[in-house]
Amino acid sequence: MTLTLTLRTEPPARVLAAPLTPEQLCGRSAAAVTALDVCCGGETAALGDLFEVSGAGAGEELVLVGDLRRFDGIGAGMSRGEIEVRGDVGAWAGAEMSGGVLRIIGDAGARLGAAYPGARVGMTGGEIVVTGDAGEEAGAGMRRGLVAVGGNTASGAGLRMLAGTVIALGSIGAEAGLGNKRGSLVSGRPVQPLPCYALATRFRPPALRLQLLRLRELGLTVGDELVDGSWGRWSGDRTELARGEILIFQEDEEEGT
Amino acid sequence: MSSYTLGTTHVDDTFAEAFPMRYARVLITAATGAWALEAARSMTGFATSVIGCKCEAAIERTLAADETPDGRPGIAVLLFAMDREGVGKRVLERVGQSVMTCPTTACFDGLPGAEPTAALGGSLRYFGDGFQASKVIARQRFWRIPVMEGEFLVAESVGIGRGVGGGNLVIGAGDEDAALAAAQSAADAMRGEGIALPFPGGIVRSGSKVGALTSKSMPASTNHQMAPTLRAQVNDSLVPDGVGALFEIVIDGVSEEAVRESMRRGLHAAAAAGATHVTAANFGGKLGEFHFPLDALRDPP
Repeated sequence: MTLTLTLRTEPPARVLAAPLTPEQLCGRSAAAVTALDVCCGGETAALGDLFEVSGAGAGEELVLVGDLRRFDGIGAGMSRGEIEVRGDVGAWAGAEMSGGVLRIIGDAGARLGAAYPGARVGMTGGEIVVTGDAGEEAGAGMRRGLVAVGGNTASGAGLRMLAGTVIALGSIGAEAGLGNKRGSLVSGRPVQPLPCYALATRFRPPALRLQLLRLRELGLTVGDELVDGSWGRWSGDRTELARGEILIFQEDEEEGT
Repeated sequence: MSSYTLGTTHVDDTFAEAFPMRYARVLITAATGAWALEAARSMTGFATSVIGCKCEAAIERTLAADETPDGRPGIAVLLFAMDREGVGKRVLERVGQSVMTCPTTACFDGLPGAEPTAALGGSLRYFGDGFQASKVIARQRFWRIPVMEGEFLVAESVGIGRGVGGGNLVIGAGDEDAALAAAQSAADAMRGEGIALPFPGGIVRSGSKVGALTSKSMPASTNHQMAPTLRAQVNDSLVPDGVGALFEIVIDGVSEEAVRESMRRGLHAAAAAGATHVTAANFGGKLGEFHFPLDALRDPP
């Protein structure tokens, strides 16, 4: 049976929600989960005060329900299992995660799947899927894994990423891929890359096709035009290795216009 | 030799003798089914017998777009060799020369999760001369190799399974045309999931015996006992009375059961299509681990 945490009421301050991962919670009884503490502002709060806890985690699936915009670090550091969030989340969701699937049905705040301040390496594996938008610097410092949003990412996506993939089915936003070494950034809508990126060609990337089909499996709505279409490949950051890329969907120009 | 009949077809009470082999299943996709087929035909060319080709390979089946990892039309290929190193080397050579080179293709592992594995993209990536890149998608690693068309996408490795090689049926009739028609019907019925018929069209006309009468160095030579033109020339001919031509169908399969059921389909299809005699090749039962008695195939599929 899936362990489900349903928010009772909006907390009085921001909550550091990093303990909310399958490895921390699953396998515990509902009563044991209720008794766990999290940081709420400068205080501690019992999970049972914030959430109604139901089910028990024999498996490795955790469901969080409610408007969790005041909860930072949901799924941070998770290495396995699955979290589904039915609502918006705060900053640092999936930060430095290394495995598993974090699915957010809603919007995510800043630094989604990113490295913590001072750390060079962020996410090293796993998949983060957001049906809505994500805030600034999504996927910053990523080494491996996938961050995908159904809408847009705000500025600075893929900042100093080492490898891995950040996909925005909407727009990847401004200043994407600054300092990117080998990572892939994907924008489903036209965007002007930074000057440190140069256009290579327009083609149908077979790996992206596979990734987009994977996103459908993970619950995102991906149009056939993106799966079958042509993408512009911009190489950069040319102040780094120039082995990274930004793939930008190119709508076919209508014939005769 | 004792026999039983299926309709008017005499079936010898003998058995086919087969051997343990290792195999890989490679999924080839392309922009069109026609290009996937080109790649698959090239990859499975010159792969009729481990004796001369180092592997045995054939198209297993056509895959609809919704059956493939990348949602494009595809072909499943089975490749068999005597050991896992052999499978790994042959898959690498053949994907490198026949699939990577073919327009629009991508190449996937058809045995995901199988152990052990052999490197595919993990070795082929060096063709990318340092410009290759990897992606982990749904916990599987792929390599993107830049090529003149764009990129070739190939799985990091392929799983290796334990299979059975060398199941067979020998199908005879009054003349070449009748025997070939019966053999073709049998081959069509025998193909299916888990089955590779590695010879041209699934059919071999030059069945062989181990060694040679005239040489100590030749590993194999013509099966003179089953050659109708030698019936009046040799003392040990096994060509049945009334038979003017014989064809053999060799079957490699992913399991003993797959081979047995393929033989069952083939035997009954051959009988229905006018074969007058069906028998099977063996080595006296001492060499092969797997025996497939024709007597056990009496019941129709």
